[in-house]
Amino acid sequence: MDFPFPEYNLQYMLPEIFLFVWALVVISFDLLSKRNNGSTTGYLTLFGIAIAGLLLGLVGNGKGFGKMFINDNVAVFFKVIFLGAAFMAVGSSFGVMQKKIVNHRGEFYALLLMSTTGMMFLSSSQELLSIYLGLELTTIPLFAMAAFYKDDKLSVESGIKYFIIGAFSSALMVYGMSFLYGLTGSTDLAQMKVAFFKTHLQFGDMGIVMILALIMLAAGIGFKLALPPFHQWAPDVYEGAPTPVAAFLSVGSKGAGLIAFAKIFVDGLYAYHSPDMAPNDWGMLIGILAIAAMVLGNVLAIRQTNIKRMLAYSSIAQAGYIMIGMVALSASGIASVGFYLFIYLFANMGAFAAVAVFEDMTGSCQIKSYAGLARTSPFFSAVMAVFLLSLAGIPPLAGFLAKYYVFASVVDVAQRSADSSWMYWMVGIGLLTTVFALFYYANVIKVMFFSPETSPYKVEAPLPAKAVLAIGVIGVLLFGLYPEPILQFATGISSSLHFMP
Amino acid sequence: MSEYLSILIFILIGTGIVLFTFLLSRLIRPHNPYHAKNLNYECAEEPVGNSWFQFNNRFYIFALIFVIFDVEVIFLFPWAVAFGQLGLFALVEMVIFILILFFGIFYAWKKGALKWV
Amino acid sequence: MVPISAYLIVAVVLFGIGTMGVLISRNIIVLFMCVELMLNAANLALIAFSRSLNIMDGHAFVFLVLTVAAAEAAVGLAMVITIYNNRESINIDRFNILKW
Repeated sequence: MDFPFPEYNLQYMLPEIFLFVWALVVISFDLLSKRNNGSTTGYLTLFGIAIAGLLLGLVGNGKGFGKMFINDNVAVFFKVIFLGAAFMAVGSSFGVMQKKIVNHRGEFYALLLMSTTGMMFLSSSQELLSIYLGLELTTIPLFAMAAFYKDDKLSVESGIKYFIIGAFSSALMVYGMSFLYGLTGSTDLAQMKVAFFKTHLQFGDMGIVMILALIMLAAGIGFKLALPPFHQWAPDVYEGAPTPVAAFLSVGSKGAGLIAFAKIFVDGLYAYHSPDMAPNDWGMLIGILAIAAMVLGNVLAIRQTNIKRMLAYSSIAQAGYIMIGMVALSASGIASVGFYLFIYLFANMGAFAAVAVFEDMTGSCQIKSYAGLARTSPFFSAVMAVFLLSLAGIPPLAGFLAKYYVFASVVDVAQRSADSSWMYWMVGIGLLTTVFALFYYANVIKVMFFSPETSPYKVEAPLPAKAVLAIGVIGVLLFGLYPEPILQFATGISSSLHFMP
Repeated sequence: MSEYLSILIFILIGTGIVLFTFLLSRLIRPHNPYHAKNLNYECAEEPVGNSWFQFNNRFYIFALIFVIFDVEVIFLFPWAVAFGQLGLFALVEMVIFILILFFGIFYAWKKGALKWV
Repeated sequence: MVPISAYLIVAVVLFGIGTMGVLISRNIIVLFMCVELMLNAANLALIAFSRSLNIMDGHAFVFLVLTVAAAEAAVGLAMVITIYNNRESINIDRFNILKW
């Protein structure tokens, strides 16, 4: 008996392999170097992430492991986002390392690198098995990282909540995947697509099992994306987890859920929602989830007093805006989703980095402790304000363009298709909720700038955190005024996802 | 349906035999309990305290390290079956895989997780 | 030859027990076991499909699901021990510091 050997083409996997090996290097370095102050390990990690980014630029597009590992435009785009998120999370973790995490620093960074490896692997996967593995490799290290302050009740509680939800959702997802496998006889998304076309031509209806499988998959991924009604874990986990971990969760985990969603629902099961098969049904379901996310996230964020909880609810709302682009399912819709996530990376990581710097200094995450900060550290307050305004979507900043492209792509699709009045409703509700959003973001700015008292704190950020804040501000300002490079980069995505224009 | 009937009969006979032997031994054995006989069986050691107590949670670490190599076998087994056809490349792959796992136990060792404090 | 529907019915029942357990149980250890039950239901379904379709992909899937389940259990139990040291309880009703 002969085995058909796939073509391995390991070189396309080089960034992932390097990142994993680097995780082992970092963990051994921290083990063998007795009691350094932690910053060397951090710089080593930053260096590794930079090298992985360089390798990613060098390897180019191609396929490895038969067709299980594909480096295409989508993969490269999301890998850049994940590496960026990891870089900024590590950069903002130096203060935490000196103050709160005294032991096990190497483990913290190694877990972060492994989680990033999982995300990168996920964005290259082209079939159910590697999607599942990628998602698990992403989330399991994050469970441990959320509970990293072992003696802090909040942190451990948030870790265990995240763990229960994560394990439950991945079990749901595997069960859904087993049905898809049984229905089509393949785990490869491209072959599944063909099988679904055949079934549809034969029977016209996919049947109840298919719908169940899709609901389970959507629920499993919805948990990772924190879309309502699966969002309850997010605020608790963000509040309890170390701030850099919360930042990494908000961008990395969300991006991972998003890419899994795009792979399965947009790319793999396109047959299911193509116009002549099941018009609008699936899109409408996602639309309802998106509306629920925007309304719930933005309304609940208003009454929060803890800034990390507020950012958590805001990130739920942002997931809603991102899913609007997914509803459009056109080339411009997908491109706008990519653009949104890219800008979200800068604004959200920046905001969390600022929160982390402030927390390291004062030990508080309450919004009221920011009172009068503009008088003592005007520069820091201005930076924070820029991030918050970008998240709210105020014109000269990049966040505005991101929201604009998402809404524009849906309106464009709505004009072209019949029976699309619900899409206009969705856009209307989305625009309305941005006003709510402005209210709570502006509240923080008001507290910082227009509070009568003077803050007792003067913010001093460590050098890497300063660099992260600078990267964030430059990204938000530059791409707000000059979005073309990112737009082009994001438009490249749609050429790699195999759906009709 | 006939296969299931045979399974049912099998189950009935199996249960019957067990019950029968219990009954038989109860009828013919002498009945003479005393303290040493009623103790928990701990490999001829004198048992200390009740067997319903909380185990020290340090055992968890050892269980965890066991699990690493327990799960490894899942991958080793199909690999070993197909090894004849796979050749050198597969050998190198498996060596790398096991080295990574060994790195795990080495790390636990160096970190002092194997020490009983 | 046992028909595939029998396996699938067992899988559905296992999955249902697991899901109800996760939703109802107040003890974290029981909750973990219920998650494992759900994963094993998926494994059973995968193997049954793989057998009836005569394609080996399902077997590979099951190997990796088992591995992931072991990793998840390791991390989860470590967290249970940490939270037990913290709170002296593994009842999830007591994990209520974080709430809105």
